[in-house]
Amino acid sequence: MTIELSNVRFHYPERPKRWVLNIPSWSLSAGEKVFVHGPSGGGKSTLLNLLSGLMPASEGSVTILGQRLEQMNSRQRDRFRANNIGYVFQQFNLIPYLNALDNIRLARQFASRKKAGANDNEIKALLSALNLSEKDWRLPARNLSIGQQQRVAIARALINKPQILIADEPTSSLDQANRDVFMSLLMSVIAENNMSLLLVSHDLSLSGYFNRVDDLKEINHIEGLA
Amino acid sequence: MFVKLAVQSLLDRKGSVLLSLMAMTVSIFVLLGVNHIRHQAKDSFSNTLSGVDLIVGARTGSLNLLLYSVFRIGSPTNNISWQSFQRIASSPKVKWAIPVSLGDSHKGYRVLGTSRDYFRYFSYGHQHALAFDQGRVFDQVFDVVLGAEVAKKLGYQLGDKVVLAHGVATTSFSLHDDRPFTVVGILKPTGTPVDQTLHVSLQGIEAIHVDWQHGVRIPGRVNSQKEVEAIDLQPKSITAFMLGLNSKMATFRVQRQINNFKQEPLLAILPGVALSELWQMMAILENTLLLVSALVFVAACLGMSAMLLSSIREREREIQLLRAVGAPPGFLFMLVELEALLITLCSLILGTGLLMLSLLLAKDVLASHFGLFIKTNIFTESSVYLIAATIMASLIVAVIPSFSLYSNARLGSRR
Ligand SMILES: Nc1ncnc2c1ncn2[C@@H]1O[C@H](COP(=O)(O)OP(=O)(O)OP(=O)(O)O)[C@@H](O)[C@H]1O
Ligand SMILES: [Mg+2]
Repeated sequence: MTIELSNVRFHYPERPKRWVLNIPSWSLSAGEKVFVHGPSGGGKSTLLNLLSGLMPASEGSVTILGQRLEQMNSRQRDRFRANNIGYVFQQFNLIPYLNALDNIRLARQFASRKKAGANDNEIKALLSALNLSEKDWRLPARNLSIGQQQRVAIARALINKPQILIADEPTSSLDQANRDVFMSLLMSVIAENNMSLLLVSHDLSLSGYFNRVDDLKEINHIEGLA
Repeated sequence: MFVKLAVQSLLDRKGSVLLSLMAMTVSIFVLLGVNHIRHQAKDSFSNTLSGVDLIVGARTGSLNLLLYSVFRIGSPTNNISWQSFQRIASSPKVKWAIPVSLGDSHKGYRVLGTSRDYFRYFSYGHQHALAFDQGRVFDQVFDVVLGAEVAKKLGYQLGDKVVLAHGVATTSFSLHDDRPFTVVGILKPTGTPVDQTLHVSLQGIEAIHVDWQHGVRIPGRVNSQKEVEAIDLQPKSITAFMLGLNSKMATFRVQRQINNFKQEPLLAILPGVALSELWQMMAILENTLLLVSALVFVAACLGMSAMLLSSIREREREIQLLRAVGAPPGFLFMLVELEALLITLCSLILGTGLLMLSLLLAKDVLASHFGLFIKTNIFTESSVYLIAATIMASLIVAVIPSFSLYSNARLGSRR
């Protein structure tokens, strides 16, 4: 199993009584492309933060690639995330004052081993493959269009050759045409690199790209909880 | 990448960063400036003379005597008689005696009437004797030996004619223009008030005052140079004199004898003791200044921290992003510390540069008006310590925003 949750409960530390997640069991196997949808405020982003180890679960266990996150210390989780999980957000994926190359180099910085070939040539090849023309590589990220920024974000997420790619509403700030371009690009790099994909969104029209679609409401049982 | 991130992030916030940079620069300028001048003032004063065991003048404060006789600051209250000088100078305990007669000037530079012994026995710094760059000691009544700075600033050469003025104001209307002096020697630079001085013989001083009384020219009496030289130019009084003794052990005894001199009330001081009196007087002022400038610096540090802290609020998304790509909280802590360090280093470079430039510009004024000889190289031991302390202080103060960022980042990963 690539991702496995069992009896996971979560509340934000500052609101102890209010459960955001209660997931008895949920998993994702290697190479799967899973789409999780749910309403705004349903806890999608929170779930992704637990999976990436940005926040520990309040109860239960989160196992990623055979490793239990709750048994790692915060430093190990940070390292683990850098090595194994690529992250794409809805917006603000890039440090606005760094250029595309530096944004990607920055992500490489935190991986434990300098993975073979992950040098500047690799970055440039990746950017070219993602249709970002060379003249835009050295522009500050804030000067790129949203579509370009999202493509740099994919490159950034891929640079450490992670096994899992997590995307949090990556298409919400794109228009229809750009959204399709983005999705097919994403799917092709996932397939090429043999990665597992977990994408959350409230936009059901994306379902067609995935081999599994889950409704967060069916996974997450917070109704009965005090 | 780490440094690049910090630099780019600072550049991205140019406006606020520039303001804290300026505040830091000014505070470092003030701090290092006060520290430098206070040390240099001491050095400069202590280096002005060496090997002089006693300074003797009319009864006045010992500081006053020291300041006007050696540093040419202030003016003498009374003269002492030539007879007293001769009596004391001929004592067997005295190795040498240098008379000093002050009161005239040339274009703002003071004129010192003295004897030829001055060039033989006077020393400065660590027992450096005076040395001639060109020419020789005066031996005619109307000969003058110039300090290095006087010759350089006024562009005088050997053989030039110099007119001395009565009084010490920069623009004097009572010129002794009927009695020009000839430049016969130019001294090497010493970095002491000697550089700012014109040296003539005591007879020369007498000669230009032959037909003057109480500082005013007596109308109708103009003697020619030749006539004046023929007159008996034995000085009747001098301003002060310096003594070198055969034995240092005798210093206090000779001092007591002079202070109890029957014929005339005299005051003998040990230059070292008078200097330390001066330092004691200055200590409070000095420490207050240093304290104030340290506080100004702390204020600038706090300002920088406030700027960094508010930037953290603006950078919440950036922080979240860095965390998502695997940056540990410690990295973010170091990032803010590095930003503080970069600002401090830039301010140090600007502040020291500015200070050296201002010292370069103020050097001459300080030398000619205050007898202060300041080196423009500010990297002395104490300022290096001070620079290290400023870096430490800024890093410590930057812990506040750094820790705020750190705990922000850890919030999510708290167990
Ligand atoms: N930092 C936080 N502190 C406290 N509560 C939070 C925090 N972030 C989110 N929440 C709460 O947790 C719940 C789930 O939020 P979350 O962001 O996971 O929803 P979401 O499904 O991603 O919504 P959206 O589609 O709008 O992005 C919401 O009720 C929200 O108010
Ligand atoms: Mg969300």
